[in-house]
Amino acid sequence: MTSTNLALFELRRLLLLKMIILAALGTLIVALLFIQLGHGAYYESSREQQSLRRVRIPAVRGKIYDRRGVCLADNVPDYGVALYLEEFRLTRKRQNTAEVISQAIQQVAAVIGQGPKIDQQQIKSHLASRRALPLVAWHNADERTIARLMETGARLKGVDILVEAERVYPHGAALAHLLGYVEIAATQSEDDELFHYYLSDLTGKTGIEKQFDELLAGRAGGRLLQVDVTGFKHAETALRESVPGSDLKLAIDLRIQQVAEQVLSDTAGAVVVVDPRNGDVLAMASAPGYDPNWFCSTITTENWTKLTADSRKPLFNRALSGLYAPGSTFKPVVALAALEQGVDRHLTLNCPGYFELGNQQFACYQGKSHGQTDFRRAIRVSCNVFFYQAALKCRLDGLYQMALACGLGQKTGISLPGESAGFLPSRAWKRRTLGEAWRDGDTCNLAIGQGPIQVTPLQMAMLTAAIANGGTLYQPRVVLATRRAGLLQRKPDELEFQEIPPVVIRRIHFSQEHLELVRNGLRDVIQDEEGTGRLARLSGLVMAGKTGTAEYGRKGAGQQHAWMLLFAPFDEPRYAVAIVLDDAISGGISAGPRLRALMQEIFALEGSG
Amino acid sequence: MSIFIHLRLMRRLDWSLVIATLGLLIIGIAFIFSAGYGNPSPAAQQLYLRQLCWVGLGLLFFLWFAIVDYHRWLRLAWWLYALGVILLVLVFVPHIGLKVYGAWRWLQIGGFRILQPAELMKLALIVLLARLFGLPGRNVRRRRLVLSGLALTLLPMALVIKQPDLGTALVFVPVLAGIMWAAGVPGKRLAILAVLALVMAGGILALVALPPKLGMNESDHERLLRRIGFSPYQRERLMVFLDTKRDPLGAGWNKAQSRIAVGSGRLTGKGYLQGTQNLLGFLPRTVAPNDFIFAVIAEEKGFVGCVVTLVLYGVLLLALLRAAEEATDRMGCLLCIGVAAMFFCHVFINIAMTIGLLPITGIPLPLISYGGTFMLGTFVALGLAQSVYIRGEWR
Repeated sequence: MTSTNLALFELRRLLLLKMIILAALGTLIVALLFIQLGHGAYYESSREQQSLRRVRIPAVRGKIYDRRGVCLADNVPDYGVALYLEEFRLTRKRQNTAEVISQAIQQVAAVIGQGPKIDQQQIKSHLASRRALPLVAWHNADERTIARLMETGARLKGVDILVEAERVYPHGAALAHLLGYVEIAATQSEDDELFHYYLSDLTGKTGIEKQFDELLAGRAGGRLLQVDVTGFKHAETALRESVPGSDLKLAIDLRIQQVAEQVLSDTAGAVVVVDPRNGDVLAMASAPGYDPNWFCSTITTENWTKLTADSRKPLFNRALSGLYAPGSTFKPVVALAALEQGVDRHLTLNCPGYFELGNQQFACYQGKSHGQTDFRRAIRVSCNVFFYQAALKCRLDGLYQMALACGLGQKTGISLPGESAGFLPSRAWKRRTLGEAWRDGDTCNLAIGQGPIQVTPLQMAMLTAAIANGGTLYQPRVVLATRRAGLLQRKPDELEFQEIPPVVIRRIHFSQEHLELVRNGLRDVIQDEEGTGRLARLSGLVMAGKTGTAEYGRKGAGQQHAWMLLFAPFDEPRYAVAIVLDDAISGGISAGPRLRALMQEIFALEGSG
Repeated sequence: MSIFIHLRLMRRLDWSLVIATLGLLIIGIAFIFSAGYGNPSPAAQQLYLRQLCWVGLGLLFFLWFAIVDYHRWLRLAWWLYALGVILLVLVFVPHIGLKVYGAWRWLQIGGFRILQPAELMKLALIVLLARLFGLPGRNVRRRRLVLSGLALTLLPMALVIKQPDLGTALVFVPVLAGIMWAAGVPGKRLAILAVLALVMAGGILALVALPPKLGMNESDHERLLRRIGFSPYQRERLMVFLDTKRDPLGAGWNKAQSRIAVGSGRLTGKGYLQGTQNLLGFLPRTVAPNDFIFAVIAEEKGFVGCVVTLVLYGVLLLALLRAAEEATDRMGCLLCIGVAAMFFCHVFINIAMTIGLLPITGIPLPLISYGGTFMLGTFVALGLAQSVYIRGEWR
């Protein structure tokens, strides 16, 4: 029987294992004996435990503030008129109960003077699946309704006011694109089936609300309801508190934002204002806009059609998703690339109003002749002819690398959904997609920001900031700080905001001497009588900038984007701005006066504190 | 190998093990059906059909592993172990691993759950430890051997705890202990290890549970635990493990409802498909067919049903130990011991948890609970043990 391979000693060890196993199984049997036979009667009659239902309680969504503490996204109570069904459980049959409830709703309707918002079918399905929960017959009751109900409340049995949280954006359309909006979550998340009754959360659909949804949402809690034999609520027994969502403090200054939106008014376009010292996004406006409050309960079909049918796409955030050719605003990059590649900084060229390349003729802007032009003047008057030749003097790779270093052709990494990367054409790209070699004509087009190159207003604002601050390219910072409610400390109001430090993407490599030259050119654009951006000039303040006008659509159709970049004050820049207008005359004429108005307001605000 | 030899080998299977296994499988299918019976979702109602497919596949695995000489796997032991560890690491890689209920337990392909690497790891560890302690000429009294066995166990265990899956990780310890004990590692050495393990486990639990009771400020405590490497989430899981009242809607609910189900079954149960705890969904429907299947059995078939189930497990476990006794070499013996230890752990912890003797932790009941990877793993383990038995020196 026993094997010769195992020593007696080992067989003894196996025997012990055998005994442990049998003893353990025996223990289980004895325990079962106690539970099932000893206390069986107790568990069988344990009706109290049988009657518990779990209800999920959504967490309060975090609030969003601007940098000065103004609330941008808030939660307000939404008063609903609810029927507590346990009070109507007179009859045995569900059908009859539904009748009684529907009669009660008619009674309430008569009192408050509003027809019921729910039908017989909804009452029945509520009775079938959620009967321990109050049935909300009217959402969004106004003060008058509530007042009327209070007066006669005593007569109406089982009817009461129920408070639910609703998301509101107190400043309406301001910041619509940046904040995004919320909708009622359609499906249950992964904790499904843990709850008998599910009260759903709001989820962010776009903008900050989407990007930081997990932080803002918090963690749902739950409640144990004791119900009676027929399934109506009897009492509440246990509660697991929900953990409120974290609050966010944005880098946005609501006042600047509002001015930026006014400056655009109804012209399709975008404005981005950043702080060149740390990359803070002080304002980001895109027009036309919409009112995020439309989405708060459920958006009406009328509003939705209005938003989606509009050919100017109000839901589209042009500031970070819009792709535009940069036009002449690309010239500072070309100048820096050429200077870094060793093109003489005193280079002076004659501009006869056109440039001949082989048998092709490239015109200067509106065929104007600028005469003798150096780097500084070329920027000031935005001379195309000078930049065609400057670009041809430097290697294309060098130009491409400089644009890449300035953050073009790649996402800025802003923490918002839907950012576009833009596009930088290269030799390899042209060969790959068009099967053609790169020509000097392509370089000329690129030199004035035309052709396949595409940028977003946000990228141009960050680039302006980098030129303003001496060459540091920041990641745009939208969220300045978060206030997170922990598992233990649940009240966010008592906590401190924790700052999210600014992120430097890179130091752009160029000599300060060259940067100085370009910056002086940019100053002349606004401060000099000859400058293309002189309409933006403000008395008593030195600013710098660059205008741009980019053709788009069919050649010669006359469709133009107007651009302008600007930073101020010139010596110690605190603001870097990019504006683009979808359809306009030119950067200087269309964008200049708008930036003048914007900067005037911004510095007035600074004065007022 | 010809078919003829296969058949001859098959004749030598341990039929008590086969019969006990089939009995448990029938119970499993029947009560998975019952657990899905009251569920409105059609997918849940047909869970038993899917389980039937797994059982069919599992039986093929069982026969294949019983016929193939187990030495083949012992030779591959290090490779299997390495594969197991790699898969355990891959679980944490987004798009390869899948997060379900807050834990990284699954490998996925395009959103489909493919495999729980922890199940494979259990088997690979058993095979490797059997080889490590069972190779001819190994001196099991040497400290280095014991320490390397310990290290090889702790590495995958740490990865499984990280998922976090405390229940499955707990199974690794008895497997190591069982194999070392059967291999003849001196009792004194084992006792030292046991004391160390207890001190460590106790220390962690004390750090998590004690400071608030001694009057430490909660936020200071949270900071302290963070410094040691506990996230508030993990801490909460441990606290709930110790005291289910902390989570009255989650683990606490499961525990209370499971106990009511078991208790109200009494002597003969409420009858098949008639358990109210089960049908009305008080026993949560997400766990009834798997981790809490024993509660369904206990409610509907009562004490009698429980004892029958436990006796079948007893027969099966004794058959596994018999295979260990009959083994022609020490590696085969240790292989069977490892399988028995794993099997026993699952059975004991699951049932003890269901009836409220142990804290709640997610660990399935072998051959009965619903679950594909686990079912296949169980069959492979039983097949390995039978491969040892078939080649044993009996008769």
